[in-house]
Amino acid sequence: MLPKEIKDRLEAEIRHVEHPRELAVDVMFAVQEHYGYLSDAALAEAAALLGMTPLELDELATFYTFTFREPVGKYVIHVCDSVVCWMNGYASVRDYLCRRLSIGMGETTADGLFTLLPVCCIGYCDRSPAMLVNRRVHGELTPEKIDGILAKLRREAESGAERPKVQGVDAITG
Amino acid sequence: MTLANYPQVLFQNRRPDRIATLEEYRASGGYQALAEVVGRRSPREVQELVLDAALLGRGGAAFPAGRKMMTIAADAPFPRYLVCNADEMEPGTFKDRVLIHADPHMLIEGIAITAWAVRAEKAAIFIRPEYENAARILEREIRIAAAAGYLGRAILGSDFSLEIVVHRSAGRYICGEVTAQLNALMGQRPNPKQPPPYATEKGLWDQPTLAHNVETLACLPHIVRNGAEWFKKLALTPTGAGTKIFGVSGKVKRPGCYELPIGVPLSEIIEEYAGGMLEGSEFKACLPGGASTGFLPRQHYHVEMDFDALKKVGNRLGTGAIMVFDHKTCLVAATLNLMEFFARESCGWCTPCREGLPYIRDLLARIEAGEGEPEFVPMLEEMKTHLFRSYCAFAPGAAAPLESLLAHFKEEIQKHIREKSCPFKKEPEPGVAGLAKPRFIA
Amino acid sequence: MPKLTIDDREIEVAGGTKVIEAAARLGIMIPRFCYHPALGSVGACRVCAVKVLEGPVKGVQMSCMLDAADGMQVSTTDREAVEFRRYVIEWLMMNHPHDCPVCDEGGHCLLQDMTVSGGHGIRRFPGKKRTYPDQDLGPLVQHEMNRCIHCYRCTRFYQQFCGYRDLGALSIGNRTYFGRVASGRLESPFSGNLSDICPTGVFTDKPSRYFGRRWDYQRTPTICINCSLGCHAVTSVRYRQVARQEARMSAAVNGWFLCDRGRYGFFYASLPGRPRQAAVKGETTTMDEAIAHARSRLETLPPDAIAVNGSARSSLEVLAMTERAARLKGWRGPAFFADAGAAHNVKTAIARLEEGLAVSLGEIGQADFILVVGADPINEAPMLALALRQAVQKGAGILVLDPRPVCLPFGFMHVPTAPEALGAVLGRLVKKSIGPAGLDGPAARFYASLPDEPATGQEVLARAAGLLAASRRPVIVCGTGIVASALVGLAADAALLLTAAQKKAGLFYILPEANSFASGLLAPPESTTDRILKAVVDGDVKALVFVENDPFATSPDRELLERALAKVELLVVLDYLDTPVSRRAHVFLPTQTLYESGGIFINQEGRAQYSAAAFAGGAPILETGGSDHPPRVYGTGLPGADPQPAGQIMAQLAGEPMASEIGARPEYFGGSTVSELAELPDVEAFPEEGQRLSPKNLPADRFKSVLPPSSAAESDELEIILTERTFGSEDLSSYSACLETREDEPLAGLHRRDAESLGIREGDGIAIRTGNTTLEFAVRVYDNMASGVMVVPRLQRLPWQGLGKRVRRQDIRKA
Ligand SMILES: Cc1cc2nc3c(=O)[nH]c(=O)nc-3n(C[C@H](O)[C@H](O)[C@H](O)COP(=O)(O)O)c2cc1C
Ligand code: SF4
Ligand code: FES
Repeated sequence: MLPKEIKDRLEAEIRHVEHPRELAVDVMFAVQEHYGYLSDAALAEAAALLGMTPLELDELATFYTFTFREPVGKYVIHVCDSVVCWMNGYASVRDYLCRRLSIGMGETTADGLFTLLPVCCIGYCDRSPAMLVNRRVHGELTPEKIDGILAKLRREAESGAERPKVQGVDAITG
Repeated sequence: MTLANYPQVLFQNRRPDRIATLEEYRASGGYQALAEVVGRRSPREVQELVLDAALLGRGGAAFPAGRKMMTIAADAPFPRYLVCNADEMEPGTFKDRVLIHADPHMLIEGIAITAWAVRAEKAAIFIRPEYENAARILEREIRIAAAAGYLGRAILGSDFSLEIVVHRSAGRYICGEVTAQLNALMGQRPNPKQPPPYATEKGLWDQPTLAHNVETLACLPHIVRNGAEWFKKLALTPTGAGTKIFGVSGKVKRPGCYELPIGVPLSEIIEEYAGGMLEGSEFKACLPGGASTGFLPRQHYHVEMDFDALKKVGNRLGTGAIMVFDHKTCLVAATLNLMEFFARESCGWCTPCREGLPYIRDLLARIEAGEGEPEFVPMLEEMKTHLFRSYCAFAPGAAAPLESLLAHFKEEIQKHIREKSCPFKKEPEPGVAGLAKPRFIA
Repeated sequence: MPKLTIDDREIEVAGGTKVIEAAARLGIMIPRFCYHPALGSVGACRVCAVKVLEGPVKGVQMSCMLDAADGMQVSTTDREAVEFRRYVIEWLMMNHPHDCPVCDEGGHCLLQDMTVSGGHGIRRFPGKKRTYPDQDLGPLVQHEMNRCIHCYRCTRFYQQFCGYRDLGALSIGNRTYFGRVASGRLESPFSGNLSDICPTGVFTDKPSRYFGRRWDYQRTPTICINCSLGCHAVTSVRYRQVARQEARMSAAVNGWFLCDRGRYGFFYASLPGRPRQAAVKGETTTMDEAIAHARSRLETLPPDAIAVNGSARSSLEVLAMTERAARLKGWRGPAFFADAGAAHNVKTAIARLEEGLAVSLGEIGQADFILVVGADPINEAPMLALALRQAVQKGAGILVLDPRPVCLPFGFMHVPTAPEALGAVLGRLVKKSIGPAGLDGPAARFYASLPDEPATGQEVLARAAGLLAASRRPVIVCGTGIVASALVGLAADAALLLTAAQKKAGLFYILPEANSFASGLLAPPESTTDRILKAVVDGDVKALVFVENDPFATSPDRELLERALAKVELLVVLDYLDTPVSRRAHVFLPTQTLYESGGIFINQEGRAQYSAAAFAGGAPILETGGSDHPPRVYGTGLPGADPQPAGQIMAQLAGEPMASEIGARPEYFGGSTVSELAELPDVEAFPEEGQRLSPKNLPADRFKSVLPPSSAAESDELEIILTERTFGSEDLSSYSACLETREDEPLAGLHRRDAESLGIREGDGIAIRTGNTTLEFAVRVYDNMASGVMVVPRLQRLPWQGLGKRVRRQDIRKA
């Protein structure tokens, strides 16, 4: 069950709009943020809030890239594999990450910390090769930079910090 | 950046590492245009102005913005909606992100003016999930604009009201296609929908809906403030109008976004602004306007970056996202990568796109892996043609790079097949097991 | 009317016709997968490509998306179009498993046909095939996703057309999956149509799985008799076994589809336990001997000590012969209805369905406002709900006046109204929606007699009245199951009044059973089963003949029935079902089902339709051969073929005067007291869409109905409303094992107020004592039903017969 404050907030937002369905993605994101992914139960809960059937919401959840219907790690690393990153070393970034995390693409580390996925162009071609960690972008990747990012995330996880939320307006450069 | 030659319009307030505030935007003349039109100039007048300015949509399809606005009839039913397309999922494209981060109020004012021009009282900015920063910036600045009286009820004392909401997508390229986007906004599966009816007649919730790209909308305040003639004269070519944000990436020294007049030569963009090719790289080809334009070969290196000029050489200006490939890059592999992208992102509605693209991808992968057969080439040629018979413009977009590969680089394909290997691979691709040393930015 | 040429042949079509349809009119079948006349054009599959040589858009175009235009020149054989279509098929076959040998669609598969005719013979795609896991969708529909060609027909049918929301398109691109969130029974009562609508073998008919190819089957056009609508079906028989039923297109009745009750309601015909041999006192014997025995016993009794009961599940032929036998012999009956109320409602409906007022199911979809009174469409006549939905999709408003918690697959207005108040609300609504202007004579007087006090707090009614006022083609749908008899006539008068107010108003009744219309035409006014049973108990009747009637399933008074059966001296039962009463028969005479005899059924709008015999009868080979075919024992007769049409048996029971009529079909009706029947055509010449019967004369009681007094006083009783359910109530379909899991839980419905006053909560068990029986139910609490009533599902497996019509509140206890 969703905590009351999340549920109340979502219900209030839904009440505010004319067609609850238009908030489908927002509600899925919020529920996913809480549970880590959209389990069948989470999907049903989200659907009920929206007045949709689980199937109707699943038609969307399975369509989109950033809604997860299977468990993912605490940190989801999306490596951009589209054409600019590809020509600027995507394969090496991918291989480096696979090696450092000892997992293949599409897998989650045994400690549940990291999931590695490929993703289409994320709109940071000027800073390729690039990747996202929980939708926060990291560009101009080098082995050192990747090591630094992974180390920081591990420290963050160890310190028991809250599950990281999607990035805020701290990095504002375009 | 040496931009002194050309006026900065959309980027007039762009500063490194900072977002222009409302005050800064106002100091540069911001929101004057809104004050000029709301309650003063009739929607029809604004539409005609945009038509006169010959503003073509910057989202890729290059449809005349004024004409689209005019398809919302004066007696069209209310409510009417405006959608700002900030999905920017076209590979290679990142100009909308830069624009929003540089000067969010320019977009907000553009939306408000356009909303006035069609009397839409609700606007949605549809934004891709990777741009969470931009989404939050916009939400914040929308609140600020509303507090300043530029949005909300009775804007600037008129009887016009406008609410802007930021709608986050959950990520799929097809969501950038405007009919699919409307479905996405309504919480439906984002499959496109072929007209009729057109969105301007029956769009969101079956109400008249106008959709424009971020950059298109950002032009509006300037056109209103400076006039159609001024806007047209910004371009270097007689048929062009305005400036264009070119996002350059790939094998150049200074990838990034540059606002330049429509019609500026490609060679100038690459050499003057993008810092030239990387050390040891030679220009081989570029995709001049995003992943759904064709490879522009070396012989057009000096082409004027203008809608008409690119059409003349069988290409498109698209989104103005220039991806530069050098002589060491295998274009079969590059096309394979693009097909991988399109096959993955196809919405799955129509057969040519859903099944044809994976088929093409498979053939290209075989060719690239040295397992190509000569008969693959005519098959690719036929299927490329058939991609244009798909339901929406997605598959024709996917066909563009393939078409140009076949037109300009067929010998490169043939070589793969003849030699049974990729002529560009000097060392084996590092295995997934990661035994080889990582090879970054080659 | 644009005139165009397709393949050099000219055709003129109505504006808005798509090229694909225009070509069909010329007999040119342009390939299609996603296009379906009922679902419309979506341009997804791209296989209907043609080349437009002249026209507003030129080049290769999708003929399903293209409006025919004047002067257009279209080629379906142009090389470019043919080449493109060939590619479309090649693409669709890239991932197809090529499992035709084990696919039930094989032989009638659109994809097979197109692959062959499209010229895609050789596989070129060198890659791997995509594969999907399948889901268990319940007992009716088999799922095999690998065969999918992504035409989206299933989800468009399931969601858009039917309004159900548990099956759809999942994932994206060439991974798109059609199914549910997880395995589980499909919720839609129209799910079986998926097997018809899917152009390949993704959804196939599960109960008939692996039983035969289409060409193996004897396929016969039939009429569904699982409710009063009379939808058109095709029945498939193999090895003397009725194995499958599909929808048959009928513009006037069911359109393209069937409900699951109808599609899967046939299993009674080939049940292993079906009684096929005559029996006297439990001992099997030949038909002739059993008939002779029954006849001789009957002849020892005075005619009015013999009473005959029939039922509305019999064909017109059987009903007519039964009626004729009884009339000629002076026997009591035949009773075709359980009690006077049921008989009266049906007879009134028949009398009031005057020409010009009666609308067909097909016409319901064209209405712009529909008032549903005392009816629960999805449960009483499922396909009606689908027709209503089509009207809603086109913008019609729907108001339901009914005490039950009616649930329909679309948005509608519902005013939960106690049964006795239905008339008043209907009258007030109609009055409010039209003015007195332009009315005169009886219409004006009737108008004036209607109540017009405003309903307090009923803004829904006000809204509905507004929509009715604005409508031009309103229809009143009236149930006959739970309503007081006055309402049936009132609905007709209300429709007449709307007509008088210059609307093209329609009237549509739901009748209780498949041949209720014929039963109502033929039943003598005074004869009802309850009266006959009383006469047995009183000693006036000594012999009972039941013709395809199981009183245990139909009689509301179980106690009376038991007393009568205990007392009766001779019990003759003619049936094709193994029922409690057939098991107790002194003489049992097996009859043929509709699939064996063929026969006429008259649906609720008076449409007489002929259902052809689907096979010659006999027991299924799998049964007689012990699944060992061919049989090892040889004989000249057909095993299990003793059953005869019940009408023939009745003629023989009646003896000489009728024996000559056996088999001479027109005479069945020639001597009938019902003149309408005499005009029915020969079965060989029966029109495809049937023949409408309507009253010869204008009904005498036009504009004469009187509102029943409303007993608004709060009583200490709850009225019991026995209500039909889509599955589990109707007699024949309750023999279908595959439908068992579709049945609802036997829950008693109570309005929240009543539940609270009784201290009952959702899910509580209650025990109801009436007479000397006690029944137990779990309770479901509703806000959207009338108060003062208790809704109990009339399920076959529930002994509802003990319940009576009312229950005192103090007789309801928590169990
Ligand atoms: C597959 C596909 C993806 C598209 N993606 C985008 C996009 O991300 N952003 C955008 O502005 N337009 C995109 N478009 C173009 C839009 O459909 C539409 O033409 C545009 O948003 C209209 O705005 P404009 O007239 O201002 O250019 C896309 C089109 C297609 C066919
Ligand atoms: S071309 Fe077809 S499958 Fe591809 S995105 Fe458009 S509609 Fe979807
Ligand atoms: S039938 Fe026309 S596109 Fe499928």
